[in-house]
Amino acid sequence: MAAQARRRSLVLRRIVATPAPDPGAPNLEAAVLPETGRAPGGGWRRHLGSLAFLTPAGIWLLVIVGYPLIGTIRDSFYNNDSTKLVGLGNYKTLFSTADILVTFRNNVIWVIVFPFLVTFLGLLFAVLTERVRWATAFKTIIFMPIAFSATASALVWNSIMSIDPHVGMLNASIETVDDWFNAPGLYPVNASAGQTVASLAATGLRPGPGATLESTATVAPGQTLKLGMIGISPATLQLVGAEKAVVPPAASGAVSGVVWRDFSPSHPAVRGVVFPDEDGIAGLHLSLLSSNGSSVASTVTDAHGAFSFSSLSTGSYRVEVVANNFASGFTGIYWLSGTQSLTPTSGLSQTAQALLSVPLVDLSMITAYLWIWAGFAMVIIGAGLAALNREVLEAARIDGATEWQTFRRVTMPMLAPVLIVVLVTMIINVLKIFDIIVNMAPSVSQANTLAVAMYDFGYASSPSANGLASAIAVILFILVVPVIYINLRRIR
Amino acid sequence: MARVVLKDLTKRYAGGNLAVDRLNLEVADGEFVCLVGPSGCGKTTALRMIAGLEDISSGEVSIGDKVVNMLPPRDRDIALVFQSYALYPHMSVYDNMAFGLKLRKTPKADIERSVREAARILDLERFLDRKPGQLSGGQRQRVALGRAIVREPAVFLMDEPLSNLDAKLRVQTRAEIARLHQRLQATMIYVTHDQVEAMTMADRIAVISDGVLQQVGTPKQLYEEPCNRFVAGFIGSPSMNFVELKVQREDGMRLVCEGTQVVLDDAMAAQLRDLGLEAATVGVRPEHLRVGEPEGPGLRVSATVDVVEFLGNDALIHAAAEGRDVVAIVGADIHLAVGDAVILSAAPRHVYLFEPQSEMSLGAR
Amino acid sequence: MSVAEAAGLAIPVRRRRLSIHFRPSRLVLNVVLVLVAIFWLVPTISLTVISFRPEGLFGISGWWTVLTAPSQLTIQNYETLLSTGFATGGILDSLVTTAAITVPATILVTVLSSLAAYSLVFGRWRGRTAVFLVIVALLVVPVQVALIPVAQLYDAFGNLTGLKLFGSLPGVIIFHVAFGLPFGVFLMRNFYTGIPKDLLEAGRIDGAGEWTLFRRVVMPLGLPAAASLAIFQFIWVWNDLLVGLVFLGGNPHHTLTIFLFSQTRTLAANYWVISTGAMISIIVPLAIFFSFQRYFVRGVLAGAVK
Ligand SMILES: Nc1ncnc2c1ncn2[C@@H]1O[C@H](COP(=O)(O)OP(=O)(O)O)[C@@H](O)[C@H]1O
Ligand SMILES: [Mg+2]
Repeated sequence: MAAQARRRSLVLRRIVATPAPDPGAPNLEAAVLPETGRAPGGGWRRHLGSLAFLTPAGIWLLVIVGYPLIGTIRDSFYNNDSTKLVGLGNYKTLFSTADILVTFRNNVIWVIVFPFLVTFLGLLFAVLTERVRWATAFKTIIFMPIAFSATASALVWNSIMSIDPHVGMLNASIETVDDWFNAPGLYPVNASAGQTVASLAATGLRPGPGATLESTATVAPGQTLKLGMIGISPATLQLVGAEKAVVPPAASGAVSGVVWRDFSPSHPAVRGVVFPDEDGIAGLHLSLLSSNGSSVASTVTDAHGAFSFSSLSTGSYRVEVVANNFASGFTGIYWLSGTQSLTPTSGLSQTAQALLSVPLVDLSMITAYLWIWAGFAMVIIGAGLAALNREVLEAARIDGATEWQTFRRVTMPMLAPVLIVVLVTMIINVLKIFDIIVNMAPSVSQANTLAVAMYDFGYASSPSANGLASAIAVILFILVVPVIYINLRRIR
Repeated sequence: MARVVLKDLTKRYAGGNLAVDRLNLEVADGEFVCLVGPSGCGKTTALRMIAGLEDISSGEVSIGDKVVNMLPPRDRDIALVFQSYALYPHMSVYDNMAFGLKLRKTPKADIERSVREAARILDLERFLDRKPGQLSGGQRQRVALGRAIVREPAVFLMDEPLSNLDAKLRVQTRAEIARLHQRLQATMIYVTHDQVEAMTMADRIAVISDGVLQQVGTPKQLYEEPCNRFVAGFIGSPSMNFVELKVQREDGMRLVCEGTQVVLDDAMAAQLRDLGLEAATVGVRPEHLRVGEPEGPGLRVSATVDVVEFLGNDALIHAAAEGRDVVAIVGADIHLAVGDAVILSAAPRHVYLFEPQSEMSLGAR
Repeated sequence: MSVAEAAGLAIPVRRRRLSIHFRPSRLVLNVVLVLVAIFWLVPTISLTVISFRPEGLFGISGWWTVLTAPSQLTIQNYETLLSTGFATGGILDSLVTTAAITVPATILVTVLSSLAAYSLVFGRWRGRTAVFLVIVALLVVPVQVALIPVAQLYDAFGNLTGLKLFGSLPGVIIFHVAFGLPFGVFLMRNFYTGIPKDLLEAGRIDGAGEWTLFRRVVMPLGLPAAASLAIFQFIWVWNDLLVGLVFLGGNPHHTLTIFLFSQTRTLAANYWVISTGAMISIIVPLAIFFSFQRYFVRGVLAGAVK
């Protein structure tokens, strides 16, 4: 009887897993309780009861995560409609297609560049805000974008990075600064549309050295020149405030003349004559070249296109229309270009070119993504910093460390675990980056990532390429396996 | 080595909290001074101002005849042992001790020698390669001391370095620090809330209450001539008994209240008369009370034994005298049981009188 | 409650300023941080302003001209966009669809995670640790690995029962819940571990069943954690694009992110729709972010630091 009771109690103990039994009267309670029917929660029933709580989540995970994981691995060894086993075929295809290799390349860029940048920014902000009074406001501002969807963020940044300086704030800012140092001329030549300075010469002008024009004829003081130009639109002239062309009278000791738009609507075919319906080219910068080609004087045409260089010594001169009249200003950087490369790759093989040319949009997307996630890194690192033992930092100062030495040799090492957590979290995050790419990078671009390629293969293409898509998914999974391992070790 | 002078040192925290109020203190070169006072009285704040970790609201700190108010800690030639030890968790014991020297670009060989020497003194040689996390509390404490020693600072500052140790280790380390002071002959300012530590180690003690310095003196001075009721109560363990008594002038000058009376000797009586006091606070240390009627003038208390705590050689008696608790230490050979009526008495020279309002000592003898 | 305060939960109460000796650099520091803060605000401000500018001005003048000419602001874009009402595929329809996905997914994840975590922490069956470790392992599994098989599974289920999951809201919800659970269980378990077991033992001795213990003891205590989880999950699901894109395939109702995505892909200069739509899409998560920042930060920290 006693033995039986003990055995039963042992069984019960195993079920109930009573914590560390008191050696004095270990089994008595457990043995007695069932008999009185007062087993807390009802013995087996309790055991099942709490297990039942796990069931919905467990089944859910098994069906929607567990099984599909295996399914994807299986599919990755099958052809694209999952009817034929192809072994490693899909993987071979992936690793031998230039486009996919570029995709890998982009993932590598993201994984290497982004996590470190974001951790650095987060650390910087967390450390700096420790020393200001309005840290709370600052942190809120930096953290807020985390509430934005990556899609909405991408759209915002699309506009900021737009090539049009009337839309994109970035280009507008650059334009403002650029104009400061490098003012555009009144008559910019649109080189991207194939226009050249030489094509502007009509009468008495020929292309000079550089992007200049010069008078074909040489003149002596007292003579006048008529210099005709074409290819400048009436709208531009109107904007500049040009008026009817007037040939100034000759004056002794001076070289004078007119520069005018040598195109009369009433006489469209006639060149070389100043008609009343032709405007002068106003505000044009001219310089006077002596016979040895050096500039001796400079002037600007008036509203009628007239100019005059006076008090000249005798000799023969040429008039030059200087280059900066035609300088085009800043026309915008195509930040969202999916092909324009950040790195020079000319002279390489095609695959190498594809792999080595990092599109500009990568830079822009990383910026946008930093905007979203820097606050996250800052908050986590900030919490890590706050949890540090202040006295240890003070001890370092007592030991004679400067601010920087304290940071480098005490704060940073103590913070290392937190930094690693942020890094790893961000690596996982960008490994599967999708939203920002599809919303920011042009559809046909060098900026795709694995997740986008997988989506394209699996859903956006018709018929879908399940095999290839699955293989990509498996690769993504393999890439997170080390993280799983790290996490498990950390938890244990 | 250097002396430390605090002149009207004051700290007002951002919230308006006056943590240290015009603290004046001179610590001679090579002296061991304890700042002692109840928790929250401003000891740590004062120490941190000396160290340069806390802004000084007003007043001056000089170390070695140089005002250091504006100097960062590293230029003050001090070392500080923190209450929490504040060891670098990512460095080995060796590196913890060597860090300060490395920052000062001390040659490697010198570092090695200093650290080994300190480790030898502190019996840490076996642990040099361990991280602080792998050490016991006492060992960590010694590393913290070692970190201070290797720097050979002019002034050692210690903030309750023993408070995280168990009782036995505390006594042991106390002796160790005292020995260390003997050996190094360095100026030491030692903060503690434990008056026993202060009494056993210090050359001089500064008692602080609520940010205000109460009295500075040798342990003996503080024990024998406390300047006010606070110091009298704070120094000595168990603490002094206090009772408020009325002045009674009939048949000789005496102080009375129910069950307790003090027959004053002439000197005391004269003093009370001069001050025209009608009442006074009387203090007597438990160790000065004995069982039995007084022989001549002095204090007499009749009480009932409440609790008897046997201490070995002595016994600690808690007795109730008209609702007041009186503590006395009596020889263990005197057998008292709970409920016994007992007469306790003390000689006049052991009776302290305090002015009831200001609580200043009257018998500054 | 603010980020800083919330993030400071683990901070010892008395915080000392780190240093006392570099006053002059403080001004520089403040200026730099103000510039950073402005830089960080620009995208949000630009989005807001663009959505309130007339469609016709886009590309003619920059949104920043509003600084000098504030009269250009108008609610015309919102009127136009909202004028279609709840028509299928419109912005309001997308808003409703998003909410109809997000709310159930959030509730389900919170409840199921809490239950599972209870079982993992207070249950007494063997293998709890193993199950928990498996869940931790699932924490970082990318959604991509499940997209195709789950779609096939939905198809098979549809063929079998006639209930269409692929292309339906429940299909999206089910998927979101599955990928929200590992984090949910992880977070809730970590929190529950801190609840003294004695509390439950006391209840058990009083004869309370597991359900009662969960409902009356553990759940109320775990409320802050549940709130963190719910808010985290809500923002996560609300902002999702990929899962919706895949599992709503063929459904005329879109989520907000799909709505925006399809607008960007039409290439036309309809930035007014995009900006206004984006504004509408972020209102809810932003409101939640600002109202429950503390819980959100806790969720973030629980996920990352623990
Ligand atoms: N950083 C601080 N801000 C505001 N008050 C403080 C700060 N540090 C300490 N105090 C207050 O100053 C007083 C003295 O503190 P402290 O010097 O630490 O006392 P002790 O070391 O004697 O226990 C206490 O009332 C404490 O609350
Ligand atoms: Mg203290």
